[in-house]
Amino acid sequence: MRFSRVLIHRLQSLFRRSRADADLQREIEVHFEQLVKEAMASGAGESEARMMARRQFGPMEKTKEECRDSRRVNHIDDFMRDVRYALRTIRTKPGFSVPALLSLTLGIGANIAIFGVVNAVLIRPLPYPQPEKLVGVFNSAAYSSLVIKEWPLSLEMYAAYKENARSFEEFGVWTPGTAAVTGRGEPEEVATVAMTHGVLRALGVRAYLGRWFSSADELRGAQKTVILSYNYWQRRFGGDEHVLGRLVLIDFVAYQIVGVMPRKFEFLNLAPDVFLAQSVVAGAPGSQDADCSGVARLKPGIGLAQANRDIVRVLRIWGAKTGLEQYLEQLHVKPNIHSLKEDVIGDVGAVLKILMGALALVLLLVCANVANLVQARAQARRGEFATRAALGAGWGRIAGQVLIESLALATLGGAAGLSLAYAGLRLLATHGPATLPRVADTSIDALSILFALACSLLSGILFGLVAVLKSGLNIRPQMARGASQSADQVRAQNAFVIAQVAVALVLLVGAGLLVRSFIALSAVRPGFTHPEQIQTIRLFIPEAQIRDPERVAQVEAEILHKFAAIPGVAAAGFATALPLELEYHNGNPISVEGKTPLGQIPPNRTIKSISPGLFAALGTRLIAGRDFTSNDLMSNRHVAIVSENMAREYWSKPRDALAKRIRINGESQWSVVVGVAENVYEDGVDQPPPGLVYFPGVRRGVAFAIRSNRAGTQGLLKEITAEIHAVDPSLPLAQVRTLNDLYRLTMARRSFALVLLGIAAAMAMTLSMIGVYGVLAYAVAQRRKEISIRVAMGAEPRTIRALFLRQGLILTCFGGAIGLASARGLSPWMASLLFGVKPFDPLIYGVAGAVILVAALTASSIPARRAAFLNPIEALRGE
Amino acid sequence: MFLPGAILSIIMVYNVDDRGVIMPKPSDLLQGTLDLLILKTIATDPLHGWAIAKRIQVLSGDVLSVGQGSLYPALHRLEQQGWLRAEWKDSDLGRPAKVYSLTREGRKQLERELNSWNRLSSAVQLLVEMA
Repeated sequence: MRFSRVLIHRLQSLFRRSRADADLQREIEVHFEQLVKEAMASGAGESEARMMARRQFGPMEKTKEECRDSRRVNHIDDFMRDVRYALRTIRTKPGFSVPALLSLTLGIGANIAIFGVVNAVLIRPLPYPQPEKLVGVFNSAAYSSLVIKEWPLSLEMYAAYKENARSFEEFGVWTPGTAAVTGRGEPEEVATVAMTHGVLRALGVRAYLGRWFSSADELRGAQKTVILSYNYWQRRFGGDEHVLGRLVLIDFVAYQIVGVMPRKFEFLNLAPDVFLAQSVVAGAPGSQDADCSGVARLKPGIGLAQANRDIVRVLRIWGAKTGLEQYLEQLHVKPNIHSLKEDVIGDVGAVLKILMGALALVLLLVCANVANLVQARAQARRGEFATRAALGAGWGRIAGQVLIESLALATLGGAAGLSLAYAGLRLLATHGPATLPRVADTSIDALSILFALACSLLSGILFGLVAVLKSGLNIRPQMARGASQSADQVRAQNAFVIAQVAVALVLLVGAGLLVRSFIALSAVRPGFTHPEQIQTIRLFIPEAQIRDPERVAQVEAEILHKFAAIPGVAAAGFATALPLELEYHNGNPISVEGKTPLGQIPPNRTIKSISPGLFAALGTRLIAGRDFTSNDLMSNRHVAIVSENMAREYWSKPRDALAKRIRINGESQWSVVVGVAENVYEDGVDQPPPGLVYFPGVRRGVAFAIRSNRAGTQGLLKEITAEIHAVDPSLPLAQVRTLNDLYRLTMARRSFALVLLGIAAAMAMTLSMIGVYGVLAYAVAQRRKEISIRVAMGAEPRTIRALFLRQGLILTCFGGAIGLASARGLSPWMASLLFGVKPFDPLIYGVAGAVILVAALTASSIPARRAAFLNPIEALRGE
Repeated sequence: MFLPGAILSIIMVYNVDDRGVIMPKPSDLLQGTLDLLILKTIATDPLHGWAIAKRIQVLSGDVLSVGQGSLYPALHRLEQQGWLRAEWKDSDLGRPAKVYSLTREGRKQLERELNSWNRLSSAVQLLVEMA
């Protein structure tokens, strides 16, 4: 209460400054007149009385000043004056302010930008009500050394969970996919998510139009239903409000539109065009395939541990009912229920944290450099400071001024950094890695602005304080004369440079390790060659279009034949999934005759149905045996090709695999191995190649691989489309891309990290070079006299140059040693980003050290040269 | 940047305690003591600056005299603290003068200052008699 009144008084005295002053003047006059009257009463004449009164009153201005002081408005006044002065300095001393502002802008801007990403990806809660209650529902499984952390559920398991789980308020499963929409203009491939009715209920976002799915939509024979995304509704239906109840042909089946989701609705990290109601029919084909992701909303008061325990119980019930207990036991199936946010974020959290750390280090370097500049300026103004101190200015007043100057610099730098970050984030949202989740909604929000402000103020206070403390502003009047640098300040500057070199080295090592990982990755022979020459295209022939599977096989073989005849096409083939097409992968346990013990479940292998010619199109080498023939394909012969690693696992020599028999576990028909193909890095170049089994076969959905040096051109695409439409004009094309696009996508996370870490390292290098240069240039300037005398006494320029080069070298070596030690301590943090290189790679450490050394020597050679060729006469005369 | 009034007043009270002996010479009049004198002087009726100075002088039998150089800053400070209220009023001086009176907070403060003064002076008294 009282404090607020005091505040009001002070504000009044501040804003009614002139009135308060007049008031004071009048008050003192009253007193003064009274003194005069008193003096006159004792018999003095008027002028004499005035003089006596003045003497008695004492220094009137001082009294007034003290009165003002006691109102404490002077602080605010001083502050405004200091700010104005600081801004003037920044404007009129570009030699000081431009480098300072530039480095602050870069340093703070980079930090704000990366914070914007971290904020969008990691900090901001998922856009659903009570997001902390949402969980992803998976199982984990382990088979020998292979651990699957996120093993999806099957529809059968979904039914069991739905029936028995007690910890879920809402629960559903979903699968992403693609489908063809036909009947309205050009056939179109859309991204779909098939889901049970619990998914949208769990997420809790109401439909914009219409309704959510209901359990009735999932029954056998029910009308198929679809919910549109806002964007698709706008694009395809022009935002028509009367769209509900209409039918659309999706994969040639009529779906009724029952809803439209709101514009802001995000489905985890996907952007599907339509949501399809998943039919859940016990015993339907495919209901045992484990390919559904689960999502649930926990009941109030239920934690993750409780939910996991609950599902252990449900799994036991399910195992007993289906007789798969042994299977669950062997594969160590356990529930894995975790926060939904983990599913959305994936593994970028680690990358972002590393980058945030790296950029924070860069900002520290910037602060060190600016502190040097501010300190140098304070140094130059020592005479002025000392004079002011002698005239009665307090230490706090002068230090305050330096601090305010620093804060003004930092605030300006922060403002410029904010605009830089804004531009950077725009760029990132449009050109950034597509694998970065939630990055589309990266923006500068209130939290980012707060962060920017904190960044600016903290760095301003940091380098301001350093400058104040280190420039020795403990003003004594005698400093006005021989203002020279004390040993203390030289030590401070040296410490800065050592720290800069150390940080730059840490960042260089980080960037170097990533470069090495890239080299190692591109050295991997992925099992396909020249992916940029492989055009991929996906076709799906729905049952509603061609009912007879034989006919489907004929159509696809016909299309393949036509592709192969296109001029410039070297080879063509198709498969259920191409390498790196993770979303189409399929796996099954494979038994080997005479090797797999009876009653035991053999390991899971990736299974593909392929056409002859696929290996040639991909460039996959056959190590032994032969490729499939069209005869194998057309007459359904029971033959197989296995990957090299699988062949070696059972028979040690690939050749020995030939003529052996294998089959999908649980089937009766054996297939004869006719060939062994080289390993293919199916799951990404940084993942070990899985065991692969190829069968000849045709499915309704296949991906074509067409090798041509015209891959990716519009011309080739037109010819391909023409060939397909010559066979059937209603077939839509999907996933039109080159294999190289996919290949690059798997590298995206690392290249994003490399680019940013590279920028950080380059900035750190530059800053430390400036630092080394600054220290030596200063030392040369300080020692001009000494150098001149040495030269006059006959010292060789070489000796003098060596003198300064040595100083630079010593600083760099100190910094380098600290940097190497810190890099060793920090690099294990980036292990998840590394490939084919250990965190302690001696080569990278050596190269980074050498680079820093060369850079530092280059930076120190300029001032050293200047010293060596100093004209002693001029220098001595100049003193 | 601002020290809240409460903290300032604590510092002042301790200033008195720390230094201990109070000299009756006007130049050495301690800040805390001056506050007490001003508060006490206007406790009964509102006064302007001139009258405050006069009354302190008269009531102390000419022992204490407060210079203008310390009186006015003190008045302004006390007003700033919210202990005094000031008004321009017609006065006995033949022209309007700035008249100070105690606020409710000011009365409480006077109470506190008196207490601490009593403690201090009895302590000094005791010491003088014992020694």
